[in-house]
Amino acid sequence: MKNSTTTNINHHKEEQQHHPKNDPSTVSSIDSRFNQTLKNVQGLLKGRSIPGKVLLTRRAEPPDDPSIQSPTFGRSFSENDAGGRDHMHKSTEEKDQSTSKRNNEGANMLNPSTSNIDNTSKETHKSPMTARATDSTRVTKFTKELSVPTVRLERLRELGWSGVPPYMRPIVWRLLLGYAPPNSDRREGVLRRKRLEYLDCVAQFYDIPDTERSDDEINMLRQIAVDCPRTVPDVTFFQQEQVQKSLERILYTWAIRHPASGYVQGINDLVTPFLVVFLSEYLEGDVDNWSVSNLSPEKISDIEADCYWCLSKLLDGMQDHYTFAQPGIQRLVFKLKELVRRIDEPVSRHIEEQGLEFLQFAFRWFNCLLIREIPFHLVTRLWDTYLAEGDALPDFLVYIFASFLLTWSEKLQKLDFQEMVMFLQHLPTQNWTHQELEMVLSRAYMWHSMFNSSPSHLAS
Amino acid sequence: MGAYKADDDYDYLFKVVLIGDSGVGKSNLLSRFTRNEFSLESKSTIGVEFATRSIRCDEKVVKAQIWDTAGQERYRAITSAYYRGAVGALLVYDVTRHVTFENVERWLKELRDHTDANIVIMLVGNKADLRHLRAVSTEDATGFAERENTFFIETSALEATNVEKAFTEVLTQIYHVVSKKALEIGDDPAALPKGQTINVGSKDDVSAVKKAGCCSA
Ligand SMILES: Nc1nc2c(ncn2[C@@H]2O[C@H](COP(=O)(O)OP(=O)(O)OP(=O)(O)O)[C@@H](O)[C@H]2O)c(=O)[nH]1
Ligand SMILES: [Mg+2]
Repeated sequence: MKNSTTTNINHHKEEQQHHPKNDPSTVSSIDSRFNQTLKNVQGLLKGRSIPGKVLLTRRAEPPDDPSIQSPTFGRSFSENDAGGRDHMHKSTEEKDQSTSKRNNEGANMLNPSTSNIDNTSKETHKSPMTARATDSTRVTKFTKELSVPTVRLERLRELGWSGVPPYMRPIVWRLLLGYAPPNSDRREGVLRRKRLEYLDCVAQFYDIPDTERSDDEINMLRQIAVDCPRTVPDVTFFQQEQVQKSLERILYTWAIRHPASGYVQGINDLVTPFLVVFLSEYLEGDVDNWSVSNLSPEKISDIEADCYWCLSKLLDGMQDHYTFAQPGIQRLVFKLKELVRRIDEPVSRHIEEQGLEFLQFAFRWFNCLLIREIPFHLVTRLWDTYLAEGDALPDFLVYIFASFLLTWSEKLQKLDFQEMVMFLQHLPTQNWTHQELEMVLSRAYMWHSMFNSSPSHLAS
Repeated sequence: MGAYKADDDYDYLFKVVLIGDSGVGKSNLLSRFTRNEFSLESKSTIGVEFATRSIRCDEKVVKAQIWDTAGQERYRAITSAYYRGAVGALLVYDVTRHVTFENVERWLKELRDHTDANIVIMLVGNKADLRHLRAVSTEDATGFAERENTFFIETSALEATNVEKAFTEVLTQIYHVVSKKALEIGDDPAALPKGQTINVGSKDDVSAVKKAGCCSA
């Protein structure tokens, strides 16, 4: 197994294996290049006057953000948090206390001066929402919902939005994505058929000699082969050769069957939550200690099929995110910018003044659905909410990502352009727990209820 | 030349882009140059990433603002926006995968379509450490570089061979142009337009700028 850790190789003295005739200076006339480049530089400078001095202070290691540590806000679901959050679901709009509380908080959030996260967390701190039922209540609700002859998907969405108990994830995700039918009598049959269909696809598209592939297909397969070993490299499980082969088959088969987009880098990341969830039906303990070598080829094939179909279902709702120029993502990035402007004017102005484009950081967020930005062990919980959103997911992503970004509202306002780019490239989420993630989701939920229902009066 | 320097003090700022096929090692060349790090399984770059490092040329501090772009064709529409204002480019291929060398021509066109034709370009054959797997000869690449009028070097991000040299060569070339011109005018380099500091890579096109003395206090 390959080692995925970063190796710091001491800076060797640059070797002189370089052949003299490769010396760049001999390749073209230095003088002519000087003049050419000078023209270029001068052209760029012409008519420009850039005021002020850019302060480039060295960025200290980001301190732990105290705002995300309010312990009483710990609705960290994990498997032991039970219920209590169903009222958070946006379809549950009863006029109860918590609803009005939510609106009050919302009003505060509109005021730019209080729109930083510290205030948010204090507000939330006092909120009575932390009261909750017990584990077993919640598990019971799921069990009950899953045991009926025809699962009521709306109900399952409401429950699932706040987190699914890990051992129920495989079945719940299959249902939420519309891969497994709600009708329990039909379920096994449908899955069996779908899994066979996947096997057929693999045989037809993947298990063929390269001579039968077009140039584009060869290119695609090559790109996938480049990316599989680089998929979530910090989780050693994904470095197993068999796992990477599965990944390759899933991705290639999907790409061939979705020619409008084909394979796009980052889709490899999107398979990984499905892989760990469907493998969890067969493997126990920590993901890092899993080995697939003891699983029968049939089991692996079933798991692959489930991943394939679930990936397909997920991406069906985001078709134009991966087509040429990725218009779907560009649209959402624009919406994100607008939403942030409405929620947090100061940070929005700062970002604009510094000339930072949302596309520069948020593109990857949408492209990889935040997998790259948070610790992998939190991803499946995040995806519970994604899948519960169903068709509404793309629009809701905008709220989640606004909430995610504004976790660092105050911090961002202290950084200049360059520092912001670097900060946003490596956000300090390494030590995040469920608690911080729940915070992001709750705030997203809250903003969604406010801004979606009354878009106009918020625009002022 | 080549000494690390505090980030907040520099005389010149140059925008440089890293381009080339996916998997040729662009991100690792960048992390080797800016942080002296290499990783065996690095994630693919989605969109663009960014890092900086300052070096010394003569008595001046030259700061490089380096944009690392995604290699896959699909991202071209997004990444090409970042070529704007670049005064230097490292066009990278993988010496063990011939197809990445074949694509260099396309990248060059891409670059010339989106930047000033006089940008300093360095063709970089990376992964030179994989000697037994070499698929592109040094001669072929040298010939290509001569025809296309670009610089050329072979590197290994893994072994840290020539990485330093590849970047500093590009930066020095740009620097010399700027300072040489200044001497011709018979003034010190401050003869270049005044008052500029920099907002590069953001809304301005300015990418190689002399910080005016009056503002550097
Ligand atoms: N042997 C060897 N491997 C290298 C070298 N440079 C990079 N690699 C490996 O090549 C793979 C791809 O490297 P990256 O730096 O991620 O490639 P990239 O060009 O940034 O790829 P994209 O982001 O997809 O465009 C990684 O597994 C690296 O470890 C090198 O000099 N020698
Ligand atoms: Mg890269």
